[in-house]
Formats: sequence, C-alpha cells, structure tokens
Amino acid sequence: MPHDTTALLDSSTATAGADAGRASATPGHDDLRSLEAGLDRLQTDPDRAPGAWRRLTTSVVPPIVFVVALVAAWQLTVMIAQPRPDIVPGPLDVVGAISQSWEAGRVQLAVATSLERGVLGFLIAVAVGTPLGLLLAEVRPLRRAMGPIISGLQVLPSVAWVPAAIIWFGLTDATVYFVVLMGAVPSIVNGLISGIEQVPPQLRRVGTVLGAGPARLALLIVLPAALPGYVAGLKQGWAFSWRSLMAAEIIAVGGTIGFGLGSMLQQSRELADLGGVLATILVILAIGILIELAFFAPLERRMLRRRGLLVHGGAR
Amino acid sequence: MSEQTAIRIEHLGKRFGAGPLVLDDVNLSIRTGEFVCLLGASGCGKSTLLNLIAGLDRPTTGTIDVPPGGAAVMFQESALMPWLTARQNVELALRLRGVPRAARRGEALELLDTVNLADAAEKRPHELSGGMRQRVALARSLAQDRPVLLMDEPFAALDAITRDLLHEELERVWRRTGRTIVFVTHNVREAARLGERVVLLSSRPGRIAGEWRIGTTEGRRIESPEVASLSIEITEQLRKEIRRNAA
Repeated sequence: MPHDTTALLDSSTATAGADAGRASATPGHDDLRSLEAGLDRLQTDPDRAPGAWRRLTTSVVPPIVFVVALVAAWQLTVMIAQPRPDIVPGPLDVVGAISQSWEAGRVQLAVATSLERGVLGFLIAVAVGTPLGLLLAEVRPLRRAMGPIISGLQVLPSVAWVPAAIIWFGLTDATVYFVVLMGAVPSIVNGLISGIEQVPPQLRRVGTVLGAGPARLALLIVLPAALPGYVAGLKQGWAFSWRSLMAAEIIAVGGTIGFGLGSMLQQSRELADLGGVLATILVILAIGILIELAFFAPLERRMLRRRGLLVHGGAR
Repeated sequence: MSEQTAIRIEHLGKRFGAGPLVLDDVNLSIRTGEFVCLLGASGCGKSTLLNLIAGLDRPTTGTIDVPPGGAAVMFQESALMPWLTARQNVELALRLRGVPRAARRGEALELLDTVNLADAAEKRPHELSGGMRQRVALARSLAQDRPVLLMDEPFAALDAITRDLLHEELERVWRRTGRTIVFVTHNVREAARLGERVVLLSSRPGRIAGEWRIGTTEGRRIESPEVASLSIEITEQLRKEIRRNAA
C-alpha cells in the first residue's frame, strides 16, 4: 500500500542524504521548496531574547535605585527631624541591630530554622495539593462538592488556625506545619484546577484523534497544558506558606518550637527594640524576594517564553 | 467492503438530541486514494459529517464503513501543543501510534522534510507563521499513518498567497502518499482546485445536492481556466441551494 510512512520515507531516502535528496527532487518541487522557504522567512521574525545587559538595565537597576533613594530619604528625615531613636530609628540603627544579632548568631539560626520549615512545609503542601487538585479537576461531582470549600479556605487567613493547632498539637513543630499546610494547600489546589480548566478543548480533541487514552491524555497533554496555572498556584502557595509560617512563629513561642524569624520578631518586641523589629522585618522581606527572584521568576519566565506568552519578537 | 472503496456511507442521518435533522440520507462512497472535497454553505453539516467519519461522533441512522486503520484529522486551527517544538509535536503523534522512542526523531524529521519544514524542526509553534503551523499539523497527521486523512477547513484562516502554496503542497503530499483525503471547505475555488471529486451538500438538513468529477487533476492552479469554469458551475448550484432556504 502506498499510504504508509515507510513508502513516504523510501521515496525521500532513495536519493541518499537529505541535501542530495532535496537537490535532485523534481524541478516543480524545488520551485515549491524555495517559494515556501521565502514565504516562511517573510512571515516570521527571529526570536529576539533580551540580552543580559538589557535585562540588567530594565529589571535589575530600577528597583535598586528606588531602594537606595528610599533609604537615603529615610536617613535624611532622621537627620533633619531628629525624632526619638526608640520610636523612629534610622537606617544605620537597623543595620546596627542586624549586625549585632549576626555576631550573636541569632539571625543565622532564625533564618535557617524558618527557611527549613517554610521549604519543607511548602513541599509537603505541593505533595498534598497536587494529587488533590488533579482529583478535583477530573472528577466533576467531587469538585462541585469540595470546590467552594477549598476556595473558602483560600480566603480564610491561616493564622486563624493557630489557636486550634496549639490546642491539638501543643507548642511543637506540628503546629507550625499544620498552619503552613492550611495556608498553602488551597492555593495549590485552586491553581491546578484553574490551569486544567483553561486547557483549550481543541488540544484534548487532538489528543483523542491522535489515539491517546485517558491516562496518556492526562499525562502528555492536559498536565503540560495546565502548567502555567499550576505554577501560578505554586507561587501563591509559597507566599501563603511563608506568611502563615511567620504568623505561627509569632504567636506560638516556646515549647519545643525552635527559634525562627517570627520568634525573633516577637522577642525584639518584648524588649521594645524597634531597631531589631525593623531589622527582622527586612530579613523576612528579603527572603521572600530572594526566593521569588531566584526560583519562581526564572521558572515562570522560561515557561512563558517557550509558549510564546511573553511579548517580544516571534511570528507575526 | 470492496478493495477499491475506502469509505462507504449509506443512508446516513444525524440529529443532536431532539434538535432538527442535521444530515439526511447521505450516501457516499469514496475510493481508496481519492481526493474528495465536501463543499457547502454554513449549517450544511460538513463538519458533523467529518466528525462522524472520524468516529468522534455516532450516526443517528445509517452506517459508515471506514478502513480498519481509521482516519487522521486535521482542523482549521493547527492545535499544536504550544510547549513542544515542531519536531516534538510530530513525535507526540508517533509516540501515541506506538513507534519506539529510538525511531521517532528520525521519522519526525523526515515527515517535517516532506512539508519543507526540516529547518524549523526545533522551533515552537509561536515562532512559526500560520502557514507553517498548518504544515506541521499536516506532518503530524501524516505521522498517524492512517489510510484516510480528514481535513476540516484546514486553510480557511490563512492568507491567499499562503493558501495557494499549501494547495500545491497538499496535492504533492497526496500524490506521493496515496492517501484517501476528505477535504471539507466552504470555498468553491478551493474545492475546484483540489478535488478529484467535489460533493456539494445542501443546508438544513445536509443532503448531497450535486457532484462533479474532474478528469485530469494534474497541473491545476487556482487561476486555471478549468478551475474557474467549474467554480462558476458549482457556485450556481450552491446559490440555488442557499436560495431554497429563503422560501
């Protein structure tokens, strides 16, 4: 039968080598080839990825300039208005507070404890939220039943769970992880569900036409297609993990709970050390920004660029 | 089924739920290796008929016989996976067909070469023009290696210059692979340019309202006089069918 690919391949490999095959094809075909190549060239632009220098000037420099200006204005205000240093400390006082606790080893300990909990809690939330999200997205009756509750949980501030968790688990790490999970899981589940809902029905149809059964359809087509929504959910899930963790650490101090950034914040407040409080806030903020910049932003950018969802260059 | 007949449709009727009849007593038999254009105005059930042949839907009455290999389908939108390169999109079809991993890459590149896209193999869909995307989709449906290729207005969204080239490309692929092609379109000239046989469907309900066979199909262009005169003839019949709906 002439209608199988082997026959199709034979006719092109018969002329030994791809280039030779092209050259010795029928003149009409050569004509078509060059015509098509010309049209293809006309209809596409080379993909221009922004250079490292351009990235530096457009996305790295502006925030740095802004922060430097902010700190300068702060320092200037303190120098001109001369407020009480225990109510309005200057930037130098805050830097002093950080270096003081650095020398005492408290910052390192608090950052290590909180980061470990935050990352571990987030990973557990991913492990719980992903299968749950998949299940809810694919089993409609289940989603109708549980969807509104999951969405509601996303709105409920997870700090509200702290008192209950302390009663259940006492002042242990379990309390902290419970609160983190209640904060992060709903975001991850919702992200995955909305990602799957937004998969174009056409792609599923193509999958069916290509002969994919339900399992391979989910694995090879639906899940990759839902990735942007999933990553958005993960990003939000991390934000909720980190916030919930800080809330839990501020409220639940003592017992077997280790010394985290939240505990450090609470301790500084008890000592009425505003410089220390502001310093800790800055550290918490910096870690949030760092994780976003070092992990989520590149992941998201790479995914969107591959799919042509970042605007620059590409086909017309 | 005789060896010469690829698709046989007998007394086919289709209605969706309690709605009006979409297709009414359609009888059509398509030879192996034939290029048939299904032509009709909106609402004539062209796409419904194609879905029935593809097995994506079931007939209400009547029967459809398709060859055991089934049919590959190409849609108006290329519907390529945006996260895969052109080559990986073709490889996906090969993988779902059960081609072993080691053979996929080479075969995908060969298939892309048949649609003159070997150089764009590592590009992603968003980097390709509309015409290039449709050619990747064509390569993908060839990768399915089914005896029948169903095409649902595949070039409707393209500009005239690109469409003209793709007609040539498709004709070449058809001659080379000997596939049976059922090509749905609402463009009379396109049907007259491509088909060995043009089947006109009336609208609401869809019935076969006319049929034209083209003797020599070699060397036809969209601007050829025989294509133009056939178009005039078909258009006249098509307008008659459309006018009937006004009464």
